[in-house]
Amino acid sequence: MTSKALRQPASLRIASGAFLALWCLIAAFPIAWITVMSFKSPVDAFDSNPLNVIFGPATRAGGSGWSILEIVLGLAVIYIAARLTVRRVPTLVASYSPGGYVALGWVVTAALVGVAFVLAFFGLLPIVTDLLTPLVGPLGRDIIGATTEHYQTVWVDRGFSNNFANSLIVTAGVVTISLSVGTLAGYGLARSGSTLAFWILIVALIFRALPHSVLVAGYLPVFINSAEWLSPILGENAPTLYGKPAAVIAVLVAINQPFTIWMLRSFFSNIPADLDEAARVDGCSHFKAFRLVIMPVMWPGVITTGLFSFLLAYNDFLVTSLLLDASNQTMVPAIAGMFNRETTTTDQVVAVAAAVSITAPLFLLVMVFQRQIVSGLTAGAVKG
Amino acid sequence: MKPRVFAAFVGPSILMMLLFIAFPLLSVFWNSFNVTQPVYETVEVESCTAGFLEQTCTTEMKTRPILDEAGEIVRQTEFVGLQTYRNVLELDRLGEALTSGSWAAIQNIDFWKALRFTIMFTLVTLPLVVGFGLGIAMLINNASKLIRGPVIFVSLLPFIITPVIGALSINWLFRGDGILTAFLEWWLARDLALFAQAWTIELLMMVYRVWHVAPFAAIIFYAGLQTVNQDSIESAVIDGASRWQRLRLIIIPHLMPLIIFVAMIHLMDSYRVFEEVVGFRAEGYVISLQWLTYDFLKPDQAGNRSISRASASAMLTMIGIAILLVPLLKRTWRDHKGTR
Amino acid sequence: MKFRTILMAGAMTAIAGAATAECAFENEVELRSLTAGFEAWKAVTDAMAECGNFTANLDQEFREKQPEAFAADPSLYHIGGVANATLIPLLNAGTIRPLNDLVEKYGQHLKPNQLITVDGDIMAIAMMVNNQHLMYREDILEQLDLEVPTTYDEMLEAAAVIAEADVVQYPLGGTFKAGWNLGEEFVNMFLAHGGNFVDDANMPTINNEMGLAALEKLKATTEYLDPEYLASDSTYVQQQFQQGQIAMANLWASRAGAMDDPEESQVVGKVKMAAAPMGPAAPVSSIWWDGIVIASNITDEEAEAAFRVAMEGIDTETVEAHPTAAIWLIDGYEPGALAAGAAATAAKGARPYPASSAMGIMHTVLGNGIAAYLNGEKDAETTLADIEAAYMTSAQEAGLIE
Repeated sequence: MTSKALRQPASLRIASGAFLALWCLIAAFPIAWITVMSFKSPVDAFDSNPLNVIFGPATRAGGSGWSILEIVLGLAVIYIAARLTVRRVPTLVASYSPGGYVALGWVVTAALVGVAFVLAFFGLLPIVTDLLTPLVGPLGRDIIGATTEHYQTVWVDRGFSNNFANSLIVTAGVVTISLSVGTLAGYGLARSGSTLAFWILIVALIFRALPHSVLVAGYLPVFINSAEWLSPILGENAPTLYGKPAAVIAVLVAINQPFTIWMLRSFFSNIPADLDEAARVDGCSHFKAFRLVIMPVMWPGVITTGLFSFLLAYNDFLVTSLLLDASNQTMVPAIAGMFNRETTTTDQVVAVAAAVSITAPLFLLVMVFQRQIVSGLTAGAVKG
Repeated sequence: MKPRVFAAFVGPSILMMLLFIAFPLLSVFWNSFNVTQPVYETVEVESCTAGFLEQTCTTEMKTRPILDEAGEIVRQTEFVGLQTYRNVLELDRLGEALTSGSWAAIQNIDFWKALRFTIMFTLVTLPLVVGFGLGIAMLINNASKLIRGPVIFVSLLPFIITPVIGALSINWLFRGDGILTAFLEWWLARDLALFAQAWTIELLMMVYRVWHVAPFAAIIFYAGLQTVNQDSIESAVIDGASRWQRLRLIIIPHLMPLIIFVAMIHLMDSYRVFEEVVGFRAEGYVISLQWLTYDFLKPDQAGNRSISRASASAMLTMIGIAILLVPLLKRTWRDHKGTR
Repeated sequence: MKFRTILMAGAMTAIAGAATAECAFENEVELRSLTAGFEAWKAVTDAMAECGNFTANLDQEFREKQPEAFAADPSLYHIGGVANATLIPLLNAGTIRPLNDLVEKYGQHLKPNQLITVDGDIMAIAMMVNNQHLMYREDILEQLDLEVPTTYDEMLEAAAVIAEADVVQYPLGGTFKAGWNLGEEFVNMFLAHGGNFVDDANMPTINNEMGLAALEKLKATTEYLDPEYLASDSTYVQQQFQQGQIAMANLWASRAGAMDDPEESQVVGKVKMAAAPMGPAAPVSSIWWDGIVIASNITDEEAEAAFRVAMEGIDTETVEAHPTAAIWLIDGYEPGALAAGAAATAAKGARPYPASSAMGIMHTVLGNGIAAYLNGEKDAETTLADIEAAYMTSAQEAGLIE
């Protein structure tokens, strides 16, 4: 929009800016609000006066709160972290990952960034504020009631880190398998003009439209009794699939396949067929052409599709709640369980804290991958 | 591409789908025409149950399933044809309601009540999602490069948030004197109970769905906007086209494939509306087709579940989605013919 | 939270986990349990874990998983947690074992009231009971010079006075959430009218005078409830109490403890317990119990170990450590002021919840069907007729009736 002819009148620019600000407020409010709630005592969290929720008088009376100093420093750390993540991380990854392992580089980096942030925020920051508080006088006095005890309850007492690890296993498994299987299929479908390919896509589309609860209910008896019906094939070692993350991964990959192959197919359709045709003329097989010619250029589309797989696996409730037992549950059913059982109000605030915790990795993910998503979509991962 | 090579590329994906989608689907289809039930006997049983201070013992006739020698429940399966579908559709009651011409009577039959809401939900949210998505995409595109990154990030939040959590947070915000209800009460200066009548709940559910999905539409449209041909826009400006004309004649046609893609995904997802019904505790007022299926399927506390009716209602849901998708499938078929 | 505290707390839990304290014996057999997830189960399974080699699964979906998991051979779990209603599918499928020998060997201390027997076989060991009873704001009733209501009609009259005086937001609270909760409200009311839900042939018997009267009473109650009553469950009613928004409710006894919790309640000491209000025939309440069962598809050694571990879980020590987590049936429990209402309700003749296969279906169709009457879409006769029709369809599909 550099051309003079396209410059917009000031009124339009202001209106557009105002609407955008309003949208951002609407988009962020619920999440911001439950984040605030998660730091309050139950009395404050469910108070009907918004100011009481924000400033938390009952929480402050209970002896825990934040001073201006702590708030300023905390915001500074968050800001710097966000800025570093968005600005520096993509270039770092690009320059340090060995060729072909960019995806792995991203995973490692994302984990490192998360750990570094937690260390800086919960480890370094308190030490600094403890040192500074006596020096700044009134600025060091608590003004906002806030407590992190609910997070402590969630992560330490309730063993939420266990659920977190399970979520990571399931999500990582789903994303990796879903993408490897889906990339091959998407490429095959994009390059084959046959009617069969068309019908596969149509059937996949109908599969995409199925109500999941019906499919999933059918799995339970089969998975619980798998040791019996697998024993003729596998003998003594036949596993009980119920409660195994691997089984959940397989189911989620399957449920996710229709969307994955549709997205990747349209992405591959936009890579000129001449590219791999040329390689084929040079005597490569289809697989070799795929590996040498397509793989290097497919990452934008794969990352975008992978993000959708990630969201599906990470956010899934139906499959994980039914097929995993409590000892290897992922985070979403664990949180739903905190709500559904006979709860006290404190339990509810604890669940709010858990809900905020589960959103944090999604934050990080989107922050890191934001540009890749847009560029992947722009490069044609969706063309209908 | 040779068939064998094609099979090698597509095989793993097809196998997964066959195993975990097509196969269960077949059993759903089969179950919708058959009824499997335990064989019961009625016997006199003396049972003692815990009272507050002392036991209460009763002797009464109890119905219990017969067990075979292996200790398994004896079950019989019977082909019932379309009976299960009749039980779900309750056509005779629908006929009565139609002849009496009473809309309320139709709305008292579960399936038709659910169908009414499901279709309305789908058709109302569809244009809103596309419209808001397009609007947000253009606003973002309009914003200065500096703030675009953060704005996209914030815009994506409603989409990435875990649906279960999203529905729950709506509860905290709106139930009783939740903070947003309190705000609305202050703003409208009247007492509100948003969960006390059907239409407010329906409205909230739709607002929530649009809030949740519009960012997905927006990010896709935004990506599409990056590839609009700047030359054609500039020549349109030189020709004196207004902003509205440029939008209608250049930008929308350019985005059309994306709009169809978003519409298709949204149709499929919103026709399966379910989380909202549970999350908003709307069961007393409005229900959806997938909720109905889920309710049939969910075992009651004594372990009974209506597998046959759940299967039938699932098949009916599928047929509904297939009908909604026909226009789209036609277009895909044309494209397919064209590219060949 | 400070990072150091996290580390400290983590270390502490590690130490606590390593010690197998307070268990009378060392369990050598690998055991697993599947129970619901509420506070009492947490207390009991924590106590079981002290014996070692024990994994507890506290799962809200247990109702869905338990029948399948116990039917597997070998059973996926050794110990199950059930209530009177969720015992039925296990009992029907024969996947839980009679405990007579084990009770004789290791359960001599159990009270007779804890032994759930079917035709002389002990099938489950109850650990706690629960029922609904009246909770009221003593200060409000005193302020308005009202007696504590003893019958349901008196309760409604008192509610009218409270509404008139406009001292609280809503006079009554009720667990009217569409689905199971609403079904339970009708069950209590219908039991209080002396009704039986199904006859010996499993045919429904709710479309009668008693059914109509029960429906009308429920409707009369809704006048005094928060208008969002079709979305309000026990936790919500409890919160309304805690925030001083309601004056009375006929609520689960297990919720009584929360009223006096200074952490979350603004009405500490003001909420008192009394017997559930009387209906024409019985108190508007039903008695439930929770307890343990042992799977049949496991070896006898495993069953023996499982039973011993379970006995450790439901012993006097657990009760002493968690006296307010439930109304325990276990020896050593001393009912406090909060349990008085539950006891009085039982003394007045509250009926046990009539759990059976047919009742499972009935409860579901009631929970789904009554909302239409309460929000005015149907009249009472049509509602009951439709509910009976829905029951017939489900019961036929389940094979309970021809």
